[in-house]
Amino acid sequence: MSLNDALSIAMAGLRANQAAMSLVSSNVANAETPGYVKKTINQVATNAGYGSSVTIVGVNRELDQYIQAQLRTETSGAGYASLRSNFLQQLQGMYGNPGSTGTLEAAFAGLTTAVQALATSADSQSARIGVVNAAAVLSQQLNSMTQGIQSLRGAAETGISDSVDDANALMKQIATINNSLAANPAGGTSTDSSTAALLDQRDQYITQLSGLMDIRVTTNGANQVTVFTGSGVQLVGQEAATLSFNAQGTVTPNTEWSADPSKSKLGSVIVSFANGGSIDLTASGAIKSGKIAAYTELRDKTLVEAQDQLDQFAAQISSALSDKTTAATITTPVAGSQAATLDLSGMKSGNITHLSYTDANNVQHQISLMRVDDPSVLPLSNNLTADPNDEVYGIDFSASPASIVAQLNTALNGKLTFTGVSIAAVTVNNNPTLTTLTAASVTTTALPGSLTSGNPQVALFTDTGSSYTGAISGSGSQITGLAGRLTVNSALLADPSKLVLYGPTTAAGDTTRVDFIMSQLTKATFQYTPSDGVGSASAPFKGTLLSYMQQFTSAQGAQASAAKQLASGQDVVLATLQEKMTTTSGVNIDDEMAHLLSLQNAYSANARVMSTVNDMYKTLMQAF
Amino acid sequence: MTISGVSGRTSYIGSGILDLRSQLDTLTQQLSSGKVSTTYEGQGSGRSLAITLRSQITAIAGYSDTAVNLNTRIGVANLSLQRLAQIGSTVKGAAVSAGTTLDNTGQTAGQKTANLSFVDSVDMLNTKSGDRYLFSGRATDTAPVASSTEIMDGDGIKDGLKTVIAERKTADLGTGLGRLTIAPQTVGSTAVAIAEETPATLFGMKLTNVASTLTGATVTGPTGTPAAISVDLGATNPNPGDKVKFTFTLPDNTLETIDMTAVAAGTTPLPANSFELGATTDITASNLNAALTTSVGDLAKGTMVAASAIAAGDNFFDTPPMRVGAGGAAATALINGSADTVSWYKGEPDIPANGSARGSAVAQVDQSITVNYGARADEQALRSQLQTVAVFAAFSIDVTNLSNPAVAKAANAQVAALNQRVAQNLAPVAGTQSIQDIQADFAGASVSIKATTDRQTQTKALSETLLDSIEGIDDNEVAAKILALQTALQASYQTTSTLYQMSLVKFL
Repeated sequence: MSLNDALSIAMAGLRANQAAMSLVSSNVANAETPGYVKKTINQVATNAGYGSSVTIVGVNRELDQYIQAQLRTETSGAGYASLRSNFLQQLQGMYGNPGSTGTLEAAFAGLTTAVQALATSADSQSARIGVVNAAAVLSQQLNSMTQGIQSLRGAAETGISDSVDDANALMKQIATINNSLAANPAGGTSTDSSTAALLDQRDQYITQLSGLMDIRVTTNGANQVTVFTGSGVQLVGQEAATLSFNAQGTVTPNTEWSADPSKSKLGSVIVSFANGGSIDLTASGAIKSGKIAAYTELRDKTLVEAQDQLDQFAAQISSALSDKTTAATITTPVAGSQAATLDLSGMKSGNITHLSYTDANNVQHQISLMRVDDPSVLPLSNNLTADPNDEVYGIDFSASPASIVAQLNTALNGKLTFTGVSIAAVTVNNNPTLTTLTAASVTTTALPGSLTSGNPQVALFTDTGSSYTGAISGSGSQITGLAGRLTVNSALLADPSKLVLYGPTTAAGDTTRVDFIMSQLTKATFQYTPSDGVGSASAPFKGTLLSYMQQFTSAQGAQASAAKQLASGQDVVLATLQEKMTTTSGVNIDDEMAHLLSLQNAYSANARVMSTVNDMYKTLMQAF
Repeated sequence: MTISGVSGRTSYIGSGILDLRSQLDTLTQQLSSGKVSTTYEGQGSGRSLAITLRSQITAIAGYSDTAVNLNTRIGVANLSLQRLAQIGSTVKGAAVSAGTTLDNTGQTAGQKTANLSFVDSVDMLNTKSGDRYLFSGRATDTAPVASSTEIMDGDGIKDGLKTVIAERKTADLGTGLGRLTIAPQTVGSTAVAIAEETPATLFGMKLTNVASTLTGATVTGPTGTPAAISVDLGATNPNPGDKVKFTFTLPDNTLETIDMTAVAAGTTPLPANSFELGATTDITASNLNAALTTSVGDLAKGTMVAASAIAAGDNFFDTPPMRVGAGGAAATALINGSADTVSWYKGEPDIPANGSARGSAVAQVDQSITVNYGARADEQALRSQLQTVAVFAAFSIDVTNLSNPAVAKAANAQVAALNQRVAQNLAPVAGTQSIQDIQADFAGASVSIKATTDRQTQTKALSETLLDSIEGIDDNEVAAKILALQTALQASYQTTSTLYQMSLVKFL
């Protein structure tokens, strides 16, 4: 009987309306839930007698997968850019407020002003103390900047560790959801509402993971996702791989990351698989974006460069005042041959003897012979000095004088020859058929204790009490982290008059030493090794201490500024994508309300059909 | 940063507003600080130039401090020099005009003036600017000149100028003839011989020349070592009015001459520096001998004593101080007296090894401009004036026997000779340094400082303007931006609120 049909169709209508109502309410309730995708009812008409009934097949997720993929990429980018910008802004804080005290330039200007005042009133005790104090301010500024940079590096190390923990949790969740979906008796592609909710959740986790690192996601026919790193290492499938990170508690300038795990003093992100394999993601550079990449770059490059710059500045200001270069006289014993006698006895570990010769083709050669006390570092790299054109040889001074002379001869391989029984008088000769010796000089560093040597050179700054000579040993270079250890020579703190009295009988108003300090600080130019990002290997930066400081300070500023611009650009991209995503996949309350109205009407209409059918039955019953 | 817990829509509407807010915060900060940013990052591409400009401005501030300091020092030094120049002319005037009248202390009125002037001179040379002695060369922490009493009277352990003068007087005077000997006339001899003392001595008078118009006489010398002069009258008596002229070099290297004039027998009283002609030349020679002895004695006890004091002053003011060696009246040489004589100058010695005096204080008033303004109290001009004034002040006559005409005569001669020498030594000599020369050097330094400072003032102003354009803000521009942002922010708030109100929910 068709009335029954009508009744059952109306019932089905009511059921469909209720289901739709529950979706509207869930949409409205979740309008602000992150990751919630707007759901719509999936209903079809089914044949029922002369009419059509309605059946609910499932729930539709209104998802634009293309935008979602883009959003994830940009989330990685934004995570990387904003974190980097954030750190660089903090780093800018260490460089201080330009034009006020508490900056490196103010400390340096304070020192030059104090030295200038001392040059005017060399006899004044207060001017002498003024220089020592200004030097202390400068060294403290370098110390505190070093501390700041290292604590930022420490924060990056901790940041990687936290991010790895987060990533592990997210990856586990994703794997769990993958498994739940697989366990669904209706299959992974089921459109039931619980599956839709799981998919929402999984997408949200993946998006969160993409903020930590760049990932690629593939979804198979069974709605299982596989997550890879941007470079293709699988992170999540049916099972989640485990990321591990061996965070180091203390981060100092000397703790540097190395691809060689036995040398690395900082942690690496390692992915381990259930089957036992593992890959070092940091060493292989697999993580290129996201927070983890930003942390790694800051820890191993950006902040290390910033530290290098301070270290070089500290090294140069220290050596500029304490190093004395003595040029040897070149004699011509016989026409065509040259000889010079070098006194190498004053050389400290790291001090360099410079030799120049021209070969038969009239090509100039620069030789740098560096004293080393630890033969394990030999042979030395030519990049050790800032000079791009020199050949660097390490000479092991822990050996006997005869061995030192032998080492010198081996290093120069007959182009120049060395003779001598004592290192206080080593004679260097040219090879008359091959070379012409053009210059020879020995650089020695004044020790912190010898203040009245009769030379203007003075160790105003020390490496925590001992002299800075640029020594290279098995445990690293002395320059590493020097900015954090730079102190004013305690002998000068105890007796500032030695800033003026460079010999036992120097007059109180003699400005020889003060003038030397002033000219080294303000006029002398030096070369700076390009490892710190200023200058290049073939054309290292050359300039005064001030111009070098100006270079790296403004380079840091420019870097922070660029990072900020990148971050805000990335934010705009992300916001735009989020807006698009919300428009296509998010809940629009107005839509829902309109839908609600029509559902209400439909419900009334269905109810009306039922009541009419009821009336008709009544009529039928009363007819008999 | 997304705000977690709220979905995208709220977050991006919110972040737009937050962005406006943070811009507003930045602008407010700019307005209150007057600076475009508090980090290098925020200063934009001018940050590098800004560092140079700030360092330039700091350097100029340093140079200007130096200039202020220098102007004070040069000013103070100049005042001292001016006073010293005044002292020079005052003492010179006193020496010329004060006459030879002695008071109870054995000094003339002119010497009294010199006493005060000497104390004043020492004070001037010990002038300080701040804690810095200006006339010590590089030894700026040492008073250059010993105290005036120390110089005059010694410090109790070491002797002063007065002792050195007295010793030199004894040494120069010898037995009374200024270390010259006139051999006693042997009977029948027609020759008169005068010679420097044997063994040779540095002290006393030296024979420099002899010239004669004596008829028939033969003069020889000065020859030999020690030098000797002989006047042999021969067989013929000179005519009255004939002269023999002896020239002596006194200890201060001045020349004095004695003209011995022959006068006719029986002339009474015999004028000074004359000898009576005898009946024969041997008698005349004997007369000449006696007269010469008297004249040389007078010269030695008179003028030479003043010259001796001047020479002693020169010895005392040498570095190291020199004084008469052992032997008293028979002493033959000067010795280094640093062990037992006050060293008047304690600063950095003015010797070639120490460079020029002006170069002993060099100040940088600009990147490549230096000013030399050092001075040493033992520079030629300062030393010579101080020495002359000191000798003038130290010299005194023993007044006990002044009633004795011979003593009075010698005293008179001494004072007159001293006056004359002091006046002469204080007069400027072409080709030697004068106090005015030092003043001129200082004036040059001042001019150079002034020119540099003027230029720096301009440079600084330019740098500051440029710096302000990098790190400063335009108040009007910022205020306008704040207004615009305020409007935008208000509009955003309003629109956002309207947007959230305009929902179908309200109308159901």
